[in-house]
Amino acid sequence: MKIAVLLKKVPDLVEDLEVDASGKELDTDDIKFKLNEYDDHALEEAILLKESGAVDEVVAMAVDGEDVDKMLFTAIAKGADKAVKLTDGNPADSHQLGKAFSNVLESANYDLVFTGVQSVDDRDGQLGPILASYLHVPCVSVVSGVALSGETAVVHKEYSGGMMAEFEVDMPAVLGIQAAKQAPRYAPVSKIRQVQETASIMEASMGDVGSANGSAVASMAPPTKGSGAEMLDDIDDLIDVLKDKGAI
Amino acid sequence: MLSPNEQIAFILLVVVCGRLAFQGFNRIFKTVKSGAKADRSDNLFGRFMNALIDVFLQKPIAKARPIVSMFHSFIFFGFSFYLLVNMNDVLEAYVDGWTTIGSDNIVAKLFNVFADIFSVFVLVGMIFFLYRRFVQKPKVMEFNTNVKLHPGVSAGGLKKDSLIVGIFILIHVGSRWLGTAMHLAGNGHTDSWLPTASIISGLFSNWSHASLETGIHVTWWLAMGLIVMFLPYFPRSKHIHLMIAPVNLALGRKTARGAMDGISNPASPGSKTLSDLPWPQVLDPWACIMCTRCHEVCPAHESGTPLSPSALEINKRYFINEQGNALFNDAGETALMDYAISDDAVWSCTTCYACVEVCPVGNEPMMDIMEMRRNQVFDAKMPDELADVLRSLDEQGNSFNESARRRHKWSKKLDIKLKDATKEPVKYLWYVGDFASFNQNCQDTTRKVAEVLTAAGVDFGIMGKKEKSAGNDVRRTGEEGLFEVLAEQNIKMLEKCDFEEIFTTDPHTFNTLKNEYPDKGGNYTVKHYSTLLLELIQSGDIDLKKKLDIKATYHDPCYLGRYNGIYNDPRDVMKLCGIDLVEMPRNKENSFCCGAGGGRVWLPDHDDMTQRPSENRIEEAVAVGVNNFTVACPKDMTMYADAAKTSGNEDTMVVKDIIDFVLEAMDLPEPIMEEIASSYPNEEVSTEPQSEGLDL
Amino acid sequence: MGDILVITEHLKGEFQDITFEMLGKAKELAGASGGQCIAVTFGNMNGKAGELGMAHSVVSVGGSDDFNPESYAAAVQSVVSAKSPSLVMVGSTSMGMDIANSVATALDITTVSYCADMSSSDGGFSVTSSMYGGKMNVVTDVSGSAVAMVLAGAFNADAGKSAGSPTVEDFAAETGAGKVRFKQLIEPEAADVDITQSDILVAVGRGIGSKDDIELAEELADILDADLACSRPLVDAGWMSKAHQVGKSGMKVKPKVYIALGISGAPEHIEGMKSSSTIIAINSDKNAPIFDVAHYGMAEDLFDVVEELVEELED
Repeated sequence: MKIAVLLKKVPDLVEDLEVDASGKELDTDDIKFKLNEYDDHALEEAILLKESGAVDEVVAMAVDGEDVDKMLFTAIAKGADKAVKLTDGNPADSHQLGKAFSNVLESANYDLVFTGVQSVDDRDGQLGPILASYLHVPCVSVVSGVALSGETAVVHKEYSGGMMAEFEVDMPAVLGIQAAKQAPRYAPVSKIRQVQETASIMEASMGDVGSANGSAVASMAPPTKGSGAEMLDDIDDLIDVLKDKGAI
Repeated sequence: MLSPNEQIAFILLVVVCGRLAFQGFNRIFKTVKSGAKADRSDNLFGRFMNALIDVFLQKPIAKARPIVSMFHSFIFFGFSFYLLVNMNDVLEAYVDGWTTIGSDNIVAKLFNVFADIFSVFVLVGMIFFLYRRFVQKPKVMEFNTNVKLHPGVSAGGLKKDSLIVGIFILIHVGSRWLGTAMHLAGNGHTDSWLPTASIISGLFSNWSHASLETGIHVTWWLAMGLIVMFLPYFPRSKHIHLMIAPVNLALGRKTARGAMDGISNPASPGSKTLSDLPWPQVLDPWACIMCTRCHEVCPAHESGTPLSPSALEINKRYFINEQGNALFNDAGETALMDYAISDDAVWSCTTCYACVEVCPVGNEPMMDIMEMRRNQVFDAKMPDELADVLRSLDEQGNSFNESARRRHKWSKKLDIKLKDATKEPVKYLWYVGDFASFNQNCQDTTRKVAEVLTAAGVDFGIMGKKEKSAGNDVRRTGEEGLFEVLAEQNIKMLEKCDFEEIFTTDPHTFNTLKNEYPDKGGNYTVKHYSTLLLELIQSGDIDLKKKLDIKATYHDPCYLGRYNGIYNDPRDVMKLCGIDLVEMPRNKENSFCCGAGGGRVWLPDHDDMTQRPSENRIEEAVAVGVNNFTVACPKDMTMYADAAKTSGNEDTMVVKDIIDFVLEAMDLPEPIMEEIASSYPNEEVSTEPQSEGLDL
Repeated sequence: MGDILVITEHLKGEFQDITFEMLGKAKELAGASGGQCIAVTFGNMNGKAGELGMAHSVVSVGGSDDFNPESYAAAVQSVVSAKSPSLVMVGSTSMGMDIANSVATALDITTVSYCADMSSSDGGFSVTSSMYGGKMNVVTDVSGSAVAMVLAGAFNADAGKSAGSPTVEDFAAETGAGKVRFKQLIEPEAADVDITQSDILVAVGRGIGSKDDIELAEELADILDADLACSRPLVDAGWMSKAHQVGKSGMKVKPKVYIALGISGAPEHIEGMKSSSTIIAINSDKNAPIFDVAHYGMAEDLFDVVEELVEELED
């Protein structure tokens, strides 16, 4: 049983984000990027399944880029067996990313593909279902519990209000992971360094990723403050508001 | 004096017991040898000489519990002298007519009087200690109920051992004392060189000669036979400390306290089992006298959490005793955290160094915990909160989960423009540190430091957003890899800067930059800001105009005081400001930790915690009758400011940093600050970001 | 053709609010573009077509009453192929995500996620997406077909509720390959509190820092006679139970007063509470997106504020 986990880096949201000179894109000069937290959950869920004995191999995959090597070595340090880097291309959106992964995965022998349910920058849609569409395999998104049983995966999909639905999915399939059974584990830096010495990252050409999806960005800007909150100066003002609105 | 049969019997006893004892000692040697490597071979002669002198002067034990230590010295001197006494007893047994009693020889007379007095010393001392453990039962000798204890310990093993040792000593010394008295009774007259024996010789005055003779033999056998029979028990008892403690002290760590050992085995860092520990730490359990001085000063134990450094060493000892020869089986060693210390306890340590400081026999329980943390972290076993903080440090270089670019935001509220040490040369590079930069309780202090130094005309700069946490506490949570990465990155940045000295307000930062960065390739002159302030005051650069008529106490930060021996600089600064300094009982090397070190500031309080260490400390200050609590560390500032509130002392105790006093004493007029700002070299006061200077 | 397709969403036999939110907006946009607003229903929800008065017509694909990612997506795909609408509106929800992406990719149509606002523009639509945790609004101009995933609460549900009798068309749709099979619905555990019924909520986010510090929020909640709520990360960390979770996969609440402590304001959370009558946000980051949706705010350290507030109120 083999699971491929797709990882991507996104801007760290603790940063102050600014728009670049073009007015259409994020200014990425000074900001730090980190692993998409949902992809981290996807990796954790895959490793947990491996630790429970249900899965033989977990392969972490990502598109080549700055610090991607470290991200993949970290995945191995956490428990992934192998890492694959997609090269020869620069996918600009979720669709091109999906095409890149599908090019590499369609001839690969995998049973499940896990990826984060969404990311902070996937304006043109979510990777999981897009990839599934290219691969012509089923997909369930917003999954927070995976169990394996022979050729099927039993998954819990989250709805709102705390409700969940249970589905049976025939493999091979793609799952968009919302949350793993436990918080993503920590990877000690010394272990990552050790992995960097001993392990190696495989490379695969991503092939033709097609064109970006649909329309380009017209503009990007922080939400206008005009209609924002009335900022209060001190506790007395706050108490006045609370009284006024019937909280006190 | 002994009959030939007795002489032979004794020799046989010595051989048999000697062999058993040898096996016991050999096992100790083997066990210690199985520990990980550590180099303590430098200046062996000096080490042992110094240790013997210290022990002779009873210095290590006098660090705490003065009255108890006095009684111990009774026993120590008495027992040391008893080496000669026992040798004399053997001579008496085997050499016809040999005795010192009744001799005219001055050496013999001196020998007698010392033997006599020291016998009483030992008896009195021993009775005191037995009384203390069995009747008085001081609370400090108890472990918190949540401390992990070896079953042998829970079953009362410590009391049993104390009783056995106590009774042995009482009998050994007591019967010899009685024997001497009987000897005198046999002689028919007292001896002024044997005063106490003479007094009790009256008890035997009407004994027949035959009875006395029997008595002398019996007491001889009780004294000498018992000590020989006791020899095999030594390796199993805490009594062996009298042999192991001086060795432990001699082979103690002589490197800087603030420099943690490197990792000996990168493939499996830290310690999981006993033999993973560096061998001096494997020796510790045999030096341990089970006195609980360590957990008495431990902020974790005192606040009710499951950590007792004493229990750690005692558990190790009991485990070793229990295992016997099975200790060397290849069946896979049992993990320390299975028998010696609980998971919660490992993470309760604040790394304050108090346990190591106070231990009379040179034990280092804190180092065991550091090694266990390294091992745990390598397997990603740690509190979840710690994992989040470590990620933040890895991603953004600070423990506050804030963007690195916001690191110098604290300086935005200043009117002064600070020099960017990464872009222009400065005399002093100010390594600000995480807490002083990001913590809102600390930022005011940080700004005041900038104001004072600017007013004093000091040439200094900061690294701004390029500075990352120096990593002191990261290393002490066991994440050695992350520490190395931070150190490498910081050193790379420092190499690009042009400066003479580094100063910092944070003792943790100070500690690692000074003691650990050289090993990583970063050799700098590092000062704590209290030292710099003192220099500036003494040179007149800081002009103190006012004498502040304030009574205040000063809290020694662990990483400044105990770790690096800097006690006087902050005090001198305060006194020069006119402060009337009142010391708390636990001061200087006995300072009581605020509870933030070792990563504890990032972790939630243990459910069992009865009172925060910081609250305990505030109450100590209240008790000495001051209203000002002075700190010289940003973590102390935030911990004590909080503790003053939560302990209900918000109205009676104000927490101040030494910079507050300096600033007040400088009595700078308002316009001067603006003048300084406007005359700052090459800069105009402006809130617009400029190309030179710090991009705020 | 200018038609706008609204993919309805239902659970346990009731249309969810997102359906009406989209319908109201769709009707407005369809009017401007000269097309019709068409609602797509599943299973037996055509029986409630009367609630969908805003729609001009209803396409009922039948099939299972229980949501199924595979069959529902296949069905919508056949409808879109047949009707060639200029816009397909799907909820940016758990159900919507499976449908929208699958359909758009299969038919090679533009997709836009996290729509917080839409308007007509020359030859198409201008769609505003809330990205980067709510820190950036990205505007995309779409012309030709597009699938837009609409954030819950972006538009007003009441504005989309209208009784009526749209024509209902039964559509023979694809049902997919049967590789995903619905098994059962799992209800949440019975909770000690139903925060959807609370008048006042004190909500804590990551800014609370540690589990211990939630105590402080509890104190405030006690004084105000309010219930505690939280954002998802606290539930994931095990600090609070799911019953208190406000947000996309948690509860949707509409209290009189919602006090958000240390909550940054990511869209997934906003979804759950933006209908509150009064939102007061306390967050030390003055740029936090929560301040865009809050009515009142304080860019201060929440501990300072709450401590002082509790003190004042205790007097």
